[in-house]
Amino acid sequence: MIVKNLPIPKRLSTRMTSRTLVVIGLGWLGVFFIVPLLMLAMTSLNLDGGAVWENYAVALSGVYISAIVRSFYYGLVTTAISLILAYALAYYIVFYSENERFMLGLVILPFWVAYIIRYLGIQLFFSPNGPFVDVFGSNMGLLFSTEGVIIGLTSALLPFAILPIYNSLKSIDQELINASYTLGAGSYRTLVSIIFPLSLSGVVAAAIIEFILATGSFLGPALLGGPGNTMIANIIATTFRAGFNIELASAIAIIYTVILTTVLVTFNSVVNIGEVLSDL
Amino acid sequence: MLEVRNLTKNYGDLVAVDDLSFEVDEGDFVTLLGPSGCGKSTTLHSIAGLVDPTNGQILLHGDDITDTPPNERNIGMAFQHNALFPHMTAVENIEYGLKMHGYSQKDVDDRVDELLELVQMSEHGDHKPGELSGGQQQRISLARAVAYEPDLLLLDEPLTGLDRVLREEMRREIKRIQDEVGVTTLYVTHDQEEALSLSDKIVVLWNGMKQQEGSADELYESPINEFVAEFVGKSSKFTGEVVSVADRVVDTSAGEMYLDGSMSFEEGQEIALYVRPEHVEVSPSSVEGKNVFTGRARQVTNLGSYAEVIVELANGMTVLAETESFPSIQNGDDVYIQFDPEDVIAL
Amino acid sequence: MTTDRFLRRSGLLSVAVFVYAVLLVPIVVIILTSFTPRPFPTIPTRGISFEWYLALLENSQLIGALGVSLVIAAFTSVTSGTLGTITAFGFVRSDIPYKETLSTLMLLPLMISPVITGLALVRFAGQLRIGSGFVAVVLGHTVLTLPYVFLIVRAELVTFDRELESASRILGAGPVESVFNITLPVISPAVISSMLIAFVVSFGEFTATQFLVSSGTTTVPVIIYTMTRSGLNPQISALSTVLIGVMFVAALVSGLVNR
Repeated sequence: MIVKNLPIPKRLSTRMTSRTLVVIGLGWLGVFFIVPLLMLAMTSLNLDGGAVWENYAVALSGVYISAIVRSFYYGLVTTAISLILAYALAYYIVFYSENERFMLGLVILPFWVAYIIRYLGIQLFFSPNGPFVDVFGSNMGLLFSTEGVIIGLTSALLPFAILPIYNSLKSIDQELINASYTLGAGSYRTLVSIIFPLSLSGVVAAAIIEFILATGSFLGPALLGGPGNTMIANIIATTFRAGFNIELASAIAIIYTVILTTVLVTFNSVVNIGEVLSDL
Repeated sequence: MLEVRNLTKNYGDLVAVDDLSFEVDEGDFVTLLGPSGCGKSTTLHSIAGLVDPTNGQILLHGDDITDTPPNERNIGMAFQHNALFPHMTAVENIEYGLKMHGYSQKDVDDRVDELLELVQMSEHGDHKPGELSGGQQQRISLARAVAYEPDLLLLDEPLTGLDRVLREEMRREIKRIQDEVGVTTLYVTHDQEEALSLSDKIVVLWNGMKQQEGSADELYESPINEFVAEFVGKSSKFTGEVVSVADRVVDTSAGEMYLDGSMSFEEGQEIALYVRPEHVEVSPSSVEGKNVFTGRARQVTNLGSYAEVIVELANGMTVLAETESFPSIQNGDDVYIQFDPEDVIAL
Repeated sequence: MTTDRFLRRSGLLSVAVFVYAVLLVPIVVIILTSFTPRPFPTIPTRGISFEWYLALLENSQLIGALGVSLVIAAFTSVTSGTLGTITAFGFVRSDIPYKETLSTLMLLPLMISPVITGLALVRFAGQLRIGSGFVAVVLGHTVLTLPYVFLIVRAELVTFDRELESASRILGAGPVESVFNITLPVISPAVISSMLIAFVVSFGEFTATQFLVSSGTTTVPVIIYTMTRSGLNPQISALSTVLIGVMFVAALVSGLVNR
């Protein structure tokens, strides 16, 4: 099983430096991701003829702009709810649970199940033949509505919020908490003055990931929203697939990406996005 | 056999090794001794080929190997944290070097059996490193390093991770294995006790520079400078002004002190004097001779067959002494200390 | 003080149970409704039935899509695993300018909505005359899964003890041999895990995939989505449960490898 005397020409082995490996990876991503994105940006500018900003004017009006605003609104609400739920659960797992590995495993398990299946599960849960209606008699408007979309996004994306918060809580030195108790602080005071500030990096990380994923969701509104709940991803897909207007679809995509990037770059001065994602 | 010539290694502005030269003779056990950051590890890694020296040459059997890749040097090495391959069993770890050195399967098998026996690990050949204790891991690491009969064995603080008792046991094991295999060995440590007990020759390093090179006795009896005197062995230090070259008298804050032998100092010169604890005699009653001082026993530590006594002199200085008559001296007793002029190391 | 702690504990416990419900109920509902004997997806209360699974077996289009999905996921896992590992090696072992910024670039596919990635790629594939279909889907999935492999393998390489490579070199192995004999085997649990994640993400991806599939090469998630458009039925649950099974097996293998 041991590799020996590999026939590697000396010229190759001296050229295969670590930098070459970086170039391979970035080059691949450049060709199959960055270049296509740039081409999409060019498409949106009507370079084949027509007014340059025409698609942007359309995209910033009517149903398009309201879908964009709605996406960020849903994103914010989902993020807020998710953070509260995620913090409570992470706190419970770290400080109160007896079998931490198992409890964490239950959080990671949904990670492995595709979004489409989990959104579908929520749809079934609230559907006329589903368990919720069986118990309460009606779904109380929790399906094909704003509430439905928010519930779906929260459920689907929650693991992304729990894990960074869990990691940050986990890395708090237990001695610091004990010190706080011995210095006379109660458990509430300890949570507010010691634990929460020390877990803030995880909370920020969770918030950023949640916000990115929620605002860009396609399946959430598609499976759990009504006609009035479409978000950017849905508008882009419909414009392209039903309207065959790739120029307009591109313009919406670019606008959304620019806004999101601006938000992230603003945040990036506070926290490093790369580190945030590495937290996962 | 191994010759290091003017070795220099810079990391940016930091000079890790500064113009270091020394030799290791065939079959010898040589130690590079110094505090952490003195450049001993960098030197060892340069000899192994894991670090590119900024300047200087390394010769093995007269051949310049400075630019030879590590895998072509035929050197064995045991690492500080043993660096056993975690995904291989003990046997596979030992086999690795043998296979890389082109041994036939039969030779590999024979040699592995021999080596497991040598390091007394025949029972544990099929265990992975994670299933072995720290001492056992270090034994396998040694077996792996000497398996393919390297020209030179490098040991990079191999006992650091072990507890005190195990460290002493492994120290004897290293010596035994080295004797049996007869491989030329270069050992690196910051522990002077290890160095003194193991080595044919010790090279003391500090700030990347060689301070002194010699046998354990030479370093202990005649250190060449204050650093070596203080780093190798225990001692009490006095400083003072030479009063008379003819009478060999030095005026220290504790009083006049007499030396022996030839004095290469001038009158009026400030010098440092060291006395080893085993040369200081402590007594509850007055003693005859030169270099007698009075003081009070501050701390008596029973070390089994002898006791270590810290004596505070009238001027507040403390002197370390050893005595075998410890029940007669208690903390707080007024005592006399005395040491012979010939036992004073003057620098 | 103890009652205080008890109240706090039980309060937190109920919140925890609620959050676990939010996380897990959707999956449980899918699995349960797949066994219903009735023609619509309800929780079976009186007896269970496997008829919807048998119906899947008779649907040749579905079986075909399942095959396509598995092959695409396998290809994605290999390309993404290889590229991601290579790139992680490069980033950890080299000293390049703007290293942090460039490594954030590697994570970009996680941040850009997959709708946009799908749209950009279908356009790109069209202009390269690749068109939609198998190749386009594998390319798209590789882009989407690359960040996972990169992150996981990079984290593993950062903590890898490079003294092991030094030991291998001194024992007589060349630099590349050392990587293949020592480094790769030691980090292999992480690489395998990341490849399993890439496999599962590819296997279940819909959002970008909907743009990239062709009529000849449709994947299971695309079929599930189409089926939901024409009303819910237990067969969708059965199909989804099959997918959940595959995904759980992957999760289990990953867990075992990393023990």
